[in-house]
Amino acid sequence: MNRTIRLSLVVLLLLTVTTGCWNLREPDQLAFILAAGLDLNEEGKLEITSQIAVPAAISSGQSPGGSGKKSFVVVSGTGKNVMDAGTNLQTQLPRSLFYAHRQSILIGERLARKGLGSLTDMFIRNPKSEMRSSILVVKDGLAKDVLAIEPLFDPYISTMLVREQVAVGLKPYYYRQFLADALCQATQPILPAVSVLPTKRYIYSGAAILNKDDNLKLVGYLNPKESFLASWIIGRQNSLTVTAPVGAGGDEITLNAKSLSKELQFVMQDPPSMYVMLKGAGFIVENNTKLNPAKDRDLNKIEHALSLSTQEAVQALVEKVQKQYKADVLGFGEYIHREHPYQWKELRSDWTTLFPRLRVTVKVELKVKDPGQTNSSIDSML
Amino acid sequence: MKLTRLQLFWIVATIEIVMAVWLRISPAIAAAKQDAWLSMLAGGLMGLAITFLVVHLSMMHPDESLAEYSQKLLGKWLGKLVILPYLTAWFILAGDVLRTFADFVHLILLDSTPVWIIMLMMLALMIYMTLNGGISGIARFCEIAGPITVGALIFSFLLNLSNIEWHQIKPVYADSGWQAIAAASYPPASFFGESFMLLVLVSYMQKPRKAMSASILGVGITVIFVLAATVMVLLVFGPDVSAKMRFPYFMLVRTIDIFNFIQNLDIFVLFIWVFGVFAKMSFYLFLTSSEMARSTRIPNWRKLVWFSAPLIFVIAALIPNENTIEFLQKLWRLIVIPLCAIGIPLLLWIVTLVRKENSSLKTSS
Repeated sequence: MNRTIRLSLVVLLLLTVTTGCWNLREPDQLAFILAAGLDLNEEGKLEITSQIAVPAAISSGQSPGGSGKKSFVVVSGTGKNVMDAGTNLQTQLPRSLFYAHRQSILIGERLARKGLGSLTDMFIRNPKSEMRSSILVVKDGLAKDVLAIEPLFDPYISTMLVREQVAVGLKPYYYRQFLADALCQATQPILPAVSVLPTKRYIYSGAAILNKDDNLKLVGYLNPKESFLASWIIGRQNSLTVTAPVGAGGDEITLNAKSLSKELQFVMQDPPSMYVMLKGAGFIVENNTKLNPAKDRDLNKIEHALSLSTQEAVQALVEKVQKQYKADVLGFGEYIHREHPYQWKELRSDWTTLFPRLRVTVKVELKVKDPGQTNSSIDSML
Repeated sequence: MKLTRLQLFWIVATIEIVMAVWLRISPAIAAAKQDAWLSMLAGGLMGLAITFLVVHLSMMHPDESLAEYSQKLLGKWLGKLVILPYLTAWFILAGDVLRTFADFVHLILLDSTPVWIIMLMMLALMIYMTLNGGISGIARFCEIAGPITVGALIFSFLLNLSNIEWHQIKPVYADSGWQAIAAASYPPASFFGESFMLLVLVSYMQKPRKAMSASILGVGITVIFVLAATVMVLLVFGPDVSAKMRFPYFMLVRTIDIFNFIQNLDIFVLFIWVFGVFAKMSFYLFLTSSEMARSTRIPNWRKLVWFSAPLIFVIAALIPNENTIEFLQKLWRLIVIPLCAIGIPLLLWIVTLVRKENSSLKTSS
């Protein structure tokens, strides 16, 4: 009896050790995916491209060209859906794919035009997947071309793509936010877009508008400046640099606005009206005019000119979104839903036809908090 | 085997919090959308009412557990019969929890390990804990694991503050209306109503008269944390995304990303999940074994552990899929809670009152 107990104890002890072993995978058996690219190839098949880290190149090559090895490899596979293509991708690799460090998901333009609706599931269902990835659209190109770009500063392009968004003043746009936009009642998602230059570099090229009423198909783009203004209205912009001509001479002044805020107001009438109030404050970083921001009168002139020119830009953006794309990317519908839920119940069913008819009034108020390190321009001192 | 007030508090809190936070949030969100937190609040009040009822009843019979005073009140046979639904409910709950635990570990952590091995290991630990420690061992474990759990939850909420988008919780009330909110409040209520295990637990207290405050606080802190987790999940993911998730709290922890540096913290909350399940399973193993012993007057309840533990394992292993788990939860809502947490306690309470009246009449005459 005593022996049986001891024996079973030993067996149990063995179990505790071996349970982990079934899943034992050393880091050198894993292929760390840093970015995933989704494309539609010429035959109309889904093509998944993964950028995979090559750790050996990182550890040995501290200085550029140290070992001469690239810090990543790019592998592609086609298939019926994401995981099917992933399986094909796996056949080319001696290490098993590891998704938990994926930083970006890139969507090629051709696929975006066909629609993303059916592809979103894997990214939320697969337990190994990551909702922390940022998601981007590749304008006029394929995702795999972006992934093949030799990165500038960081070892990986995926890190750069996230930092790029921060550098241009945007808050990084994560997959979970994309899902929230795609599933909510009114807002049409806008995704940051990049495109590949002939010089084998990439460039931030605005925002891609998807239509969630039609399988999340790409309907068009906003250019970078418009995308910043749109992000300001939906609260995803941290800072904004505005350049505007001031005075008669046509000389320009540039303001770096940091504290951006927005306020929306909705009035139910015919046609329904939306008031957009945008505020920002910052410091002057360039002044080529004869005006002296230290003087009250000049300061007023500067602020007024900056505000007015931005206001016109925002109005043009709203017009474009309303008339050209007819897509509520500015979150007006969601705003009404959240703040005026009972009125929204009447509007909801025909919001797609109502949105282009919405009367939108924009007011922009930019303040100069600091004139910069000189008062008037050097030009005026000469 | 005597519990202090603090121990009672931590037992109740530990065995309820983790499961509710882990599993109960998305069903409520699916039903009541962004107003799920209102449903949680209403469900919490119902849960507290159930707790009040069962503790009040138990305090009328200090030093006796359900199996004993039910026989005293209803007679030998009816008293034994009344225990049956409780035992069934607890066994099903234990099997259900064991399976859910193993499925989760299997899905997230050890996908190459067979599910039954994971269950077997948890079972071995439970048996060890229950046989060696009994209720005081479980209580001591809860005294340690409970505060760690609560601390880890608070910590995970704090780290998620940067992900909050306040507008996700709006509009409040208007979308669902009181009917949907009320309908969605019953499932959480049934979860908080698990506190009917206090019918037995109170009898293990040093001073059963002090059970009320500890029990109410124990269920109260559970309600608060489930509420907080619901609000956090809503604020971070919004109602549409979180309704689709199976383990929204776990995803919440996975979302933590501070300065692109503090990431992948899910591994740290996995242990609170294991702690919570371990405490809960050990407790139910003890509960079923000891109540069976008391009701059949077997002097040594430890022998019955060797009946309960395999039974729990078999129930867990026989569950074919997620559908069955959902069916069992429906069973819990529709039959167990109305019967075991409300119906029978009310009946016993009335009988107690009537008996007291009779005996006081007798003594006065």
